Amino acid sequence: MNLKRQLLLVSLLTLILPWAGCEFIRETESALRSGQQQMLAGTARALANTMAQYGEEFPLADPAFDSSDQLYVHELDTQPTIDGYFDDWSLQSAVLKSMRGTEGPVQFAVGRFGESIYLYVEVSDRNVIYASSQSIVLDDGSRHADRVRLISSNPPYLRESIVFAAEAPGRILSYKQSAYGFAPEPTVSAYWQDVPGGYRVEARIPAALLGTHLGLIVNNTDDAAQAGTRSSSFAGQTPGASVRLSPEIERVAAQLVQPDMRLLVTDADGWRIAAVGEPGGGSAGDAARGFTRRIYDLLVESGTEAVFAEPDPRGREQAAYISAALSGTEMASWFRSEAGGKAIVAVAAPIKAGDKVLGAVVLQQGTDAILSLTNSGLARLINVTLIATLAVAATLLGYATWLSRRIRQLSVAAEEALDNESLQSALPSALADDEIGDLSRSFSSVLRQLGEYNEYLRSLASKLSHELRTPLAIVTSSLENLEHEPLNEAGIGYTMRAREGADRLRRILSAMSEASRVEELMANFEPESFDMVNVLRSTVTAYSDVYRERRFAFDCVLDSATASGSPELIIQMLDKLVDNAVDFSNVDDTISIGLHTADDRLEISVMNPGAPLPEKMRTQMFDSMVSMRAGKNTRHLGLGLYVARLIASGHDGKISADNVDGGVVFTVTLPLLNA
Amino acid sequence: MAKRIAIVEDEAAIRENYVAAFQREGYRVDAFAARRPALDAFEIRLPDLVVIDINLEDDVEGGFELCRELRARSADLPIIFLTARDSEFDAVSGLRLGADDYLTKDISLPHLMARIAALFRRLDAMQKPQGSESRITRGDLVIDTERMTIHWQDTPVGLTLTEFWLVHSMARYPGHVKNRQQLMDAAQAVLDDNTITSHVKRIRRKFHAIDPDFDAIETVYGMGYRWLSD
Repeated sequence: MNLKRQLLLVSLLTLILPWAGCEFIRETESALRSGQQQMLAGTARALANTMAQYGEEFPLADPAFDSSDQLYVHELDTQPTIDGYFDDWSLQSAVLKSMRGTEGPVQFAVGRFGESIYLYVEVSDRNVIYASSQSIVLDDGSRHADRVRLISSNPPYLRESIVFAAEAPGRILSYKQSAYGFAPEPTVSAYWQDVPGGYRVEARIPAALLGTHLGLIVNNTDDAAQAGTRSSSFAGQTPGASVRLSPEIERVAAQLVQPDMRLLVTDADGWRIAAVGEPGGGSAGDAARGFTRRIYDLLVESGTEAVFAEPDPRGREQAAYISAALSGTEMASWFRSEAGGKAIVAVAAPIKAGDKVLGAVVLQQGTDAILSLTNSGLARLINVTLIATLAVAATLLGYATWLSRRIRQLSVAAEEALDNESLQSALPSALADDEIGDLSRSFSSVLRQLGEYNEYLRSLASKLSHELRTPLAIVTSSLENLEHEPLNEAGIGYTMRAREGADRLRRILSAMSEASRVEELMANFEPESFDMVNVLRSTVTAYSDVYRERRFAFDCVLDSATASGSPELIIQMLDKLVDNAVDFSNVDDTISIGLHTADDRLEISVMNPGAPLPEKMRTQMFDSMVSMRAGKNTRHLGLGLYVARLIASGHDGKISADNVDGGVVFTVTLPLLNA
Repeated sequence: MAKRIAIVEDEAAIRENYVAAFQREGYRVDAFAARRPALDAFEIRLPDLVVIDINLEDDVEGGFELCRELRARSADLPIIFLTARDSEFDAVSGLRLGADDYLTKDISLPHLMARIAALFRRLDAMQKPQGSESRITRGDLVIDTERMTIHWQDTPVGLTLTEFWLVHSMARYPGHVKNRQQLMDAAQAVLDDNTITSHVKRIRRKFHAIDPDFDAIETVYGMGYRWLSD
């Protein structure tokens, strides 16, 4: 992983900022929430006190009845048509109360519109037995029928019922049964509709006709001769008190409720007797802010609140916080709305008359204000963090680019210095007082030492040859003198061998001092212009005489190519390359010497077939005293190619070696004066 | 009467070997290890030929000093530098000081002897009247093999012994390419390529000094040199 990526990774650490910010927002939100909750609780208490003054509006819990036997009279917003269909009731089908019937559940609902009570009943009955003209009102002992009865009473006095039975589906006439007997009740409008698997009855009854307590009884018979079975919505003799919204309480509540707040008032059993307002929130902006909210929820643990429940469609509030209020304890609870996920706080406070709990005031309020506060804070935070992160990342990226550029420059410069042997040259960043500067300086010092070492190696050969020349002169002159002394056969042999040895030593010494001699020549030679084609052609011809076991080819299409320098030195360089090529090729191999122009450069190449160069030697082999010959030829000290390079660079040229298919090519590039 | 050769050489073994070799050739030899004793002896009597090492004990340039002083005393005393120093610079310096030859210690004793003999021969020839039988004439070039002198356009060219032999070798058969080995043999020396190149260069320069249009020595690249005569 390069420096740039590493620093980019580090820049990701700035993402800790949004997390910290979200933590802060959460703190703020929870403080705001608790403030809102307390405010709401205060309001709820005040409302409860107010409601307590309207004690008469709260139906008293009657221990004689199970509260589940009570019917809730729903307020209808529109007037239903009496046609046996429920879908024109402004209620959801969830409000239908269910009771057990003989052939499946009996579902029914009671509503109120204006001064009329509406009844809707669905009965499961595979075999509907219609009433005859005799049995329409009352079972006469032999004739029975399916019928629905709405029981109404004002305990302890009255128990009446409105009876619905049909001779045929359609509009039916209902009867009123009271202690005084049966009588058709023309103020009641009713409709009987048969449906597959049962029948429905829808009816409108003037409210004045009914008492405070309402119940439903369904008679089901499968045979006109049988009495059939009775299903009842209540357990005892009389039904429980019906419950409906109290107009008075609603009126009071409507005055007290604040916008964006829902006020529910329940009686002691949790039956809702007033519902005013909406909990607020749920504005259209929520969806748009969903994204930032989701990030927030991701960063901060999302709320564990329950989903907010709308007021119970069947009219009875059974949420835990309301139940707690009904048992005398004020309680608050937080919810999450199903759509948008906004928080809703709900507080239930008991309405007390003395020690008695009359009911509960329930206040529900959305936290739109808090939400918008946190949302805008969140949006700002995320924007700022995003900008900060981008800025940090961009800065780090730039910084890393700068750093790695400096390091790369340094490494390139160091490599170039190594390649070009300019080991004393200054490296980039040498003056910087940071670590890269240190690196550059230590690189420089290493390169300098390397240069000194190379210099030492370079001078070693000539120094050595100089120092050895005197002792060699002693040896040779002694041997030459010895030849004039009387020697026996063996002595002459030894002397000869010693002469040969000394001779070889002399040749080695002369090779060793050659480099310094070439350097010396180059230091004060006057360049002359000469035709390279001519010089090379003549030289290559000469090689054929010198190296009789090799063939030579001169590959040149140029007529003339003028170069500047010393033709003798160029030839000497070529000698070294050819000598090298001869050593690394076999008998009868062809050594090709080429001369080409490339742009304003002149390229001399010497190619020999043979084993490729070892890769690691490619750059070193032009150095002093580096030899690739594996001990097979001891007269080479690794100076030939070094001399070649000296001559090439003395002519502003470059020398390089490459492996080619089946051989090795040495290329010298020199400046070309003109072709 | 035997010729007197003085050898100034600080390396005892070499000195002794040369002394032995010179004596074997019939010369009388005076050997010195340093400049001072040599000069003292030369005060009394100059030898016929002096062989000097440049590096004399602690006296790094002692040989040059000695050469300068000797040349001041005698213009035609043959002086040979015989040294381990093979740099071009030293050779040029030595020859500028008026030495007749500059030899490195690579040289074999027979080669050295040949050169010394030649120098004596030249010395003797100088005393005699010029004989035409020893003259070779190639156009503007006149070689006197006895005196070992060369004239170009009737102007003497001051060549060292080695240079003389090289020119002589080339000019004897004009148009023939003399390769390095042949030139080396002619010059009675073992010389490497660069030395021959430098010698030829010096020769050309000396001719150029007389005749700026001189171009009688042609380089045959990769082979050697030849004398062109019109």
